Amino acid sequence: MIGRPGSTLWLLSHEIRLSWRGLIGGRRGRIRMIAFGVLAVGFGVAGVPIALALRGVDMPVNPLSILAADFVCTMVFTLMLSQTLAGAADALYARGDLDLLFSSPLDPRKTLTVRFASLAGTAFTAFALLVLPVLIPLAIFGHWRWLSLLLVLGALALGASGAGLAVSVGMFALIGPKRTRAAAQILAAIIGAAFFLASQVRTIFGERSTSMWLQLLALANDPRLRLPPQAAWPLQAALGDPAPLAVMLAVGSGIFFVVTAWLSRRFAADAASAQGADAGLRRVSRGAAGAFTGGVFAATFVKEMRLLTRDIALLAQVLLRVLYLLPVTFLLLRSAAGHEAFALPGGAAAITFMAGQVGASLTWITVSAEETPELLQCAPASAARVRNAKLLAALAPLALLLAGPLAIITAAAPAAGLAAAAGATAAAYAAGLINAWYPTPGKRSDFLRRRRSGSILVGLAYFFVSALIAAATGLAAALLPWALIPAVLAVVALLVLRRSPARIAEALAAAQS
Amino acid sequence: MADALVLEDLTKVFSKPAVDHLNLRVRAGELYALLGPNGAGKTTTLRMVAGLLKPTSGSIRVFGVDALAEPAAAKQMIAWAPDEPMLYDRLNPMEYLEFVSGLWGVDPKEGRARAETLLKLLGLWDQRGQRCEAFSRGMKQKAALAGALIHDPKMLILDEPLTGLDAAVSRQVKDLLLERVAGGATVILTTHILEVAERMADRIGIIQNGRLLAEGTLTELRERAGEREGTLEDVFLELTGEAEAITA
Repeated sequence: MIGRPGSTLWLLSHEIRLSWRGLIGGRRGRIRMIAFGVLAVGFGVAGVPIALALRGVDMPVNPLSILAADFVCTMVFTLMLSQTLAGAADALYARGDLDLLFSSPLDPRKTLTVRFASLAGTAFTAFALLVLPVLIPLAIFGHWRWLSLLLVLGALALGASGAGLAVSVGMFALIGPKRTRAAAQILAAIIGAAFFLASQVRTIFGERSTSMWLQLLALANDPRLRLPPQAAWPLQAALGDPAPLAVMLAVGSGIFFVVTAWLSRRFAADAASAQGADAGLRRVSRGAAGAFTGGVFAATFVKEMRLLTRDIALLAQVLLRVLYLLPVTFLLLRSAAGHEAFALPGGAAAITFMAGQVGASLTWITVSAEETPELLQCAPASAARVRNAKLLAALAPLALLLAGPLAIITAAAPAAGLAAAAGATAAAYAAGLINAWYPTPGKRSDFLRRRRSGSILVGLAYFFVSALIAAATGLAAALLPWALIPAVLAVVALLVLRRSPARIAEALAAAQS
Repeated sequence: MADALVLEDLTKVFSKPAVDHLNLRVRAGELYALLGPNGAGKTTTLRMVAGLLKPTSGSIRVFGVDALAEPAAAKQMIAWAPDEPMLYDRLNPMEYLEFVSGLWGVDPKEGRARAETLLKLLGLWDQRGQRCEAFSRGMKQKAALAGALIHDPKMLILDEPLTGLDAAVSRQVKDLLLERVAGGATVILTTHILEVAERMADRIGIIQNGRLLAEGTLTELRERAGEREGTLEDVFLELTGEAEAITA
């Protein structure tokens, strides 16, 4: 560890050590490192030709490049803000070491400053790794001043961390500690997707679809455009102009240090109260008496439905995973309403794929995130009945979600609606079966992190089976017999993936050990 | 005997009072067991003493230091060990102890020497290079206890330190705590295993609904409860009114 024990540098090196071990540790650490190496080599190979092509070329500072730089900076900032906002919520709830750190004589503000600096570091590293393979060859072949792009990224990361901290503390004040984690994660996902959704607004409302680049080009060529001098600062800073670079660094680090200094004491108190609040009792509405008396299937189904409906934040997190598919769905509904039958097959396929993704998430919650697996295993009940009840409970909210869109499609084009309904059911059920065959036990509260801990192969299986069923649905909606090919392939894939109850039990025991 | 811990009118309100004008004195060099039914406010009280929760009102003095005005000075004398061990899965016990030493400002050389002694004492020396993620509950508890002892605290605060431990590890932990008390340290612990409190504690405090119900040695508590021959369990149930609930 670097630095004097207890110093800021020492704490920072502790954070870096934990992050590094998190990255390389575990069964997937080696795979991650190999994948990272392959990506780095790939980017490096692509970076050298780009650097050679740009050798001796000066970046023009004109309205188009200024707008492009501003756009990219804003997008990077929102993505970093999304990352740091989710990280701030994690810092409060997920990391179990705050008790240790806050019970030590170290100033909690120092601890939190380091924690937030490491958040900024994580946000910076993610983007720096993307640009470095191109930036290094560019620097070697003459554009060494462009390395200041790294400083611009650093300034953006510091600013985003400060803003994330401020938003988290504000949410604590407004909605209390219990709801802040879920709300912060939802907000983080919305902010992360904001640019994409905003770019689709015109498409959704029926205007002609144009790429962001063409929109920027049109704006840059607009003779009425008058850009203030400050608009050029991000570009000039990235190109190594000292004054704008200094301003960006000052603003980024200023936001970070001012917010950290002002709010970290408050944040420390919030963190403590968040943990204390976990012990609080939550009043729930009483369900109907005798709801659990209809046998194993009914009891399991009712239990799962109650758990799902009592955790609205978790349901919201599930739905956020398909935020990116919303524009496609809107487009589909618009096409259906306008009787544009040609647009329906793609939309039906998109709905099917979305159903597969949401189904995978919901069935993970009901099947893998079972809080008392041994209770169910000990019960004199058929494992298949319990599993089917769980699958049905997971698919019920999905059916509600899709009922409206499917009804609209069916009204416009009955065959396409039927295909979409069948496809969505099949994709969701298939995802549920894969979950049941390849359980990855975890806590419901770890829903957002499970993607990092689950098997890559199972993730690929979800994706390919959903994609195959979606393709079959799209082709069926277009009344093409070719639909049979992906449908059969999906069935074959499921037969290959299928596991016996004994093997599932073995895998479960191995995963839990 | 000087006071190690003095709580005056200590109150913590979440949605309702968890700790309600609690007054408590723990003497230096004693082992004090804080007992109470579930939800009585034991853990909230100890978390406030450890500086993890800010009281709504009241005061906390640790060896004469105002813990609310000078938290760092108070924390320097305290070790806090919650029921869930505070460990980093991806560090090994030696690294963990070095880190905790650093947090409490122990000289690195001294910290390493203490870590070696503690790991040997607690039977973790052979596992010093293994990451904590592979440890059993008992091993994790021992590693966390070593972390609590590494800075040689004057006051040890332990929340359910024996939960989930097997007989051998439990004995080891109890011996270690008694050894510390014999060496002049103050130990405050909560436990639901009343036999442990009965055998180990110099004095026992019983809290209910965030208030101190009774306090004293086992003999004093027996007198208070009118249970001259009873066990601590009998006394506890009598004082908290749960005996009536059981027989009702």
